[in-house]
Amino acid sequence: MTQHDPALLSAALSGAEVALNQAITLAPTSHQALAELSGTLLGVEITSLEMTLYLALNPGPEVALFSHCEETPDAFVRGSIEDFTALIASDDPAATLINSGIELEGRSASLIRLQQVIARMDIDWEAPLVERLGDVMGHQLAESLRGLFRWGEGARKSLKRQLSEYLLEEGRLTPPKLELEHFFEGVQTLSMQVERAQVKVEKLIAKAAARESRQ
Amino acid sequence: MSDEAIDTSNADDSTDFGFTRVNRAAKAGLVREVFDSVAGRYDLMNDLMSGGIHRLWKRFTIELSAARAGQTVLDIAGGTGDLAAKFSRLVGPDGRVILADINAAMLEVGRDRLIDKGATGNVDVVQADAQALPFEDDSIDCITIAFGLRNVTDKAMALRSMLRVLRPGGRLLILEFSKPTSPLLAKIYDQYSFQVLPAMGKWVAQDADSYRYLAESIRKHPDQDTLLGLMEEAGFANVTYHNMTGGIVAVHRGFKP
Repeated sequence: MTQHDPALLSAALSGAEVALNQAITLAPTSHQALAELSGTLLGVEITSLEMTLYLALNPGPEVALFSHCEETPDAFVRGSIEDFTALIASDDPAATLINSGIELEGRSASLIRLQQVIARMDIDWEAPLVERLGDVMGHQLAESLRGLFRWGEGARKSLKRQLSEYLLEEGRLTPPKLELEHFFEGVQTLSMQVERAQVKVEKLIAKAAARESRQ
Repeated sequence: MSDEAIDTSNADDSTDFGFTRVNRAAKAGLVREVFDSVAGRYDLMNDLMSGGIHRLWKRFTIELSAARAGQTVLDIAGGTGDLAAKFSRLVGPDGRVILADINAAMLEVGRDRLIDKGATGNVDVVQADAQALPFEDDSIDCITIAFGLRNVTDKAMALRSMLRVLRPGGRLLILEFSKPTSPLLAKIYDQYSFQVLPAMGKWVAQDADSYRYLAESIRKHPDQDTLLGLMEEAGFANVTYHNMTGGIVAVHRGFKP
């Protein structure tokens, strides 16, 4: 029967569903884009956790998560948790989808569109804080949280840049992106030339064999 | 419990009522007394007794139902209507949900809850006995019975009745307490059922006896494989089950061929 206790999985999915729907409620700018995706069903298999889950986008807009589904999803993706984390955080989901270890069945368009909506989701944390704590306290706390998030984001970007600079310039441990892309293009061109040469050689051999058989 | 009810001079006419043997004819009345007593606080007690996990068991059962818009779903022993409310949303305005229970007090609570939740347009409330369902043959897409089968006097008769009303290809889902798969968990669960549960029943519902009956009836209910066999004997095909929370609860699924 199922590998995971369905009750445990239901608990995890139920919690995630509530959190996602709460986030959607607090991000009104994403409602239009999510409404356009309404009716979409996505299947996700997380290989590292041996877990399959399904995500349905319903009118509202709201999200439903479940572990058992008998309908064919619009898109089914299979990969490790690291692959999916990279996809969610990616600035270029199409490239991440192609270059990562994620396997995709079905239509990629809805998956890419959903990733873009999630990435651009602007959650208004101030509304629930103001509702619970009042205008003054709520606003102050929201400002502090915003500052903290801005600092965190700045620190993350700075760390990423510095790490990248160290690996490229100081340590010379990895080649620059452009150089690597140029190298890949060269490899691809060479591969195509070899393929063409192989086809030409095969044609010549076939021609020679035909000439020999005529003589 | 009256002497008449526990008179089991004719062994063929007796059945389990918890750990007690009672007349078959009297069991329905005795079960009704239990649920009349607990109806008002049934959901609260379920939450307390299971720590809210019963909602997760029911959530997975709904997933297994694969209920779609336009379908007809029958929730037997639906009591306070929590499954019916979810199905009402899933089948939509073109579908139909029938909340059935043998107990009028439970149905009354269920109907009020459904009205409170706004689930009214596509829900019918019917007082019915699972052994003789008052519905046409081949008329239902999906039947669920959550924590109700163990209170039915003749389970085989109830399963045959459910098979009759299901459409070919329709499915039955039985969510019921079962047998824990680990001996250690079984021991802890026994202590909980016979010590903590009646005490909790006494404290919250002022009714220790009813909750003692609930614990006893769970122990007398067929285990996973026996119930699977009963379903197959009744005529269900492709019967499978999923253990949940270490086998404390299992959900069985079978299809009408």
